[in-house]
Amino acid sequence: MYQALLANRYLTSRIIPLIAVAAVALCVALVIIVVSVMTGFLDMLKSSGKTLMGDVIVGYPVRGIPHYERLIDEINGLSTAAVASPLIDSYGLLRMPYPEGDDKEVVTVQVWGIQPESFAGVTGMADSIYWKELSEQEAATARDDDFRRRIKPGMLGDSLTLTDPVTGRRGALMGIHVSIVNDRQQDGSYEPKFDHWWLPGGHEVTLTLVPISSKGSISEPRDRTFPIINEFHTGVYQIDKSRIMIPLEDAQHLLRLEEAIKYDTSGELDENGRPPVIGTSPARATKILVRAADGVTPDELLADVRMAYERFWMKVAAEDGVMEVPPSRELVTMLTWEQQLRDLIGPVEKERELMRILFSIIYLVCAGLVLSIFWAIVYEKTRDIGILRSVGASRLGILWIFLRYGMVIGILGSILGVGLAYLVVSNINEIHDAIGQDAPTWSWVAMYSFGLAAAIGMLVSITRSRVLYAIILGLVAISLGGVAFALQQHVGTVIWDPAVYYFSTLPSQLDFFTVIITMIGAIVFSILGAAVPAAKAADTDPVKALRYE
Amino acid sequence: MNDLTMTPAAGQQGQATGRDVILSAHDVAKTYQMGRVEVKVLKGASIELATGEWLSILGSSGSGKSTLLHLLGGLDQADEGGGGIRYRQQEITGFNSRQLNTYRNLSVGFVFQFYHLLPELTVMENTVLPAMVARGRLKWYRDRAEITERARELLSQFGLDHRLEHRPRELSGGERQRTAIARALVNQPSILLADEPTGNLDASTGGEILDLIKQQHEQGLSIIMVTHDSTIASQADRQVHLVDGIVQ
Repeated sequence: MYQALLANRYLTSRIIPLIAVAAVALCVALVIIVVSVMTGFLDMLKSSGKTLMGDVIVGYPVRGIPHYERLIDEINGLSTAAVASPLIDSYGLLRMPYPEGDDKEVVTVQVWGIQPESFAGVTGMADSIYWKELSEQEAATARDDDFRRRIKPGMLGDSLTLTDPVTGRRGALMGIHVSIVNDRQQDGSYEPKFDHWWLPGGHEVTLTLVPISSKGSISEPRDRTFPIINEFHTGVYQIDKSRIMIPLEDAQHLLRLEEAIKYDTSGELDENGRPPVIGTSPARATKILVRAADGVTPDELLADVRMAYERFWMKVAAEDGVMEVPPSRELVTMLTWEQQLRDLIGPVEKERELMRILFSIIYLVCAGLVLSIFWAIVYEKTRDIGILRSVGASRLGILWIFLRYGMVIGILGSILGVGLAYLVVSNINEIHDAIGQDAPTWSWVAMYSFGLAAAIGMLVSITRSRVLYAIILGLVAISLGGVAFALQQHVGTVIWDPAVYYFSTLPSQLDFFTVIITMIGAIVFSILGAAVPAAKAADTDPVKALRYE
Repeated sequence: MNDLTMTPAAGQQGQATGRDVILSAHDVAKTYQMGRVEVKVLKGASIELATGEWLSILGSSGSGKSTLLHLLGGLDQADEGGGGIRYRQQEITGFNSRQLNTYRNLSVGFVFQFYHLLPELTVMENTVLPAMVARGRLKWYRDRAEITERARELLSQFGLDHRLEHRPRELSGGERQRTAIARALVNQPSILLADEPTGNLDASTGGEILDLIKQQHEQGLSIIMVTHDSTIASQADRQVHLVDGIVQ
């Protein structure tokens, strides 16, 4: 009982243990922030992968899978599949509508030809459409001058059919970062830098694709002009920066993968002077995206899709007069979304584990700090130990005072650390944006003022011969002056470059598992740090301790 | 108690003449290692304390009187191979550490020259400290009211009832020593071991402290007081002199 009383009093009656608590809190906050951001990043990568491409992807690049509609029927017949959607995946050149004049900007883009209805069923496309009327909830939190407040019903084309409402033409959806006009604001919203270059407001882009023949050679490039229906924001920077989505038929046409009459060019011409028709070459799709039915795992679905492909292939191959037999199962890649993203997820997972290990060293720093602070406290409390022994306290009782003291410091420090980490992580995008900008003038002016006040205080202390206060105030003045100078010199630095880290925002969720592990670690290492000084205290000879001055 | 009270001349070589000896040391030796030099502080000191007796140990600085008191109070261990210390017919030299802790906690109460109060605790908390040490959490909660009441009575008796929530640094020397005596008595020990209890106080305050000790003695408490001041020592029932590590 007396241990609790003393540990409590030792903690509250002096400053040194508060420094230990602050040190533990900083260590805990550091570990939690770093690992939480890494874990959040990984989760974002995974969840975006799933929502961007469904659960299972069947792929046969460049030439695509012929008779894919039958494959889709076969897959849709599976009880484990919810919906399947064909896709053309290619790369092309996009001529932007800006700047004024004929010399327009041209960018390379990844082109996805999609069948909008089924594609929206497989992926989270509908949610990623950026320019739309704000919901009531969004309207309540959005800025007053948020550009989306200007959007009125009927103003934009139908993103789910990719058609222009006025002309009825088929159009394109573009990633929000493809156009350099869109400017990300601090609150995460986007504004066109110039209103008249807001692309969904009636602008067109011209897309050029290069078809590859069955012999692998390049055919004559084809281009087509599309009105911009809307722009999408998936949060994955690489996608938002480079992807454009157009209707499947257009992509098939531009890549010569549409259904076409096939001629025999090797033989004689018919009576009209044309080569004889030998059949119809079927349309093709380079990928099939499949979403699993509720409660079905991607792996279970993958097994069924493999069998469905096998059945599809056997049926088509067995038919008489079929023009083009699909590639056999071995040639087609069939992967779950996780396997598809393995190259991306694997290194990030390894990086996170490395971070975890590196930052675990911080625990040792924690233990070292607690040890040195406790060493000083035990040294200072030597006489108390003698007194306690003289009234009958046991060695274990003395040991427990200091272990308990260490434990309380660990618990308090870790709770404070979690609070600090929560504040930082939940505001991490704001902090990042602030670092990305020049420091406001008031901040360094204020710091210089506080520094000056401390310097005056130091001079006053010197005149009154208060050396300790003079030194403390001097250190405070120097620190504040340093901070003020750093702020004054600070120019915006973007630390989290979205081009490197894929995402345009930082993850801002605390990782619960990391919080628990870090708290336990901090408490255990604080107790370990306290253990050596506590043992020294327990071993103190009471007579020497009582004589200790 | 009177039949056990000795005149100063009655005891020879530290021996109580009455039969009822509560604490005794027989031929104890204590050597300290000071770097490479061995310093023999006690060279076979013998002493006896009868129940209810007040014994003064007189000696000059460095004569080993504090060391003898520490040995009697179980704070320190005598040299092996020498004599032993007995408390109520039990050899405390053979006590294990748990028994020694209990002995220090319940059987004896220490009062030191420099008070030795814990600076972070209030007067009341310092006073009840030995009672807290004696109990686990549950027993403490069970007995707390009773112990606090006893401490309050003691402190009130010592004129400290207005100081209960004060910290030691807010007290005068005399008040600190009175608190220390209250702490030594809270567990109702059989013996009070006082090491120069007035050594750090002015004559008048020292006199007050001696009166207080005298009061306790009159209530039947056995006391060993170490001092270098023969006037103070003369207040006791009996005095012994410790010279060069031997009781004379």
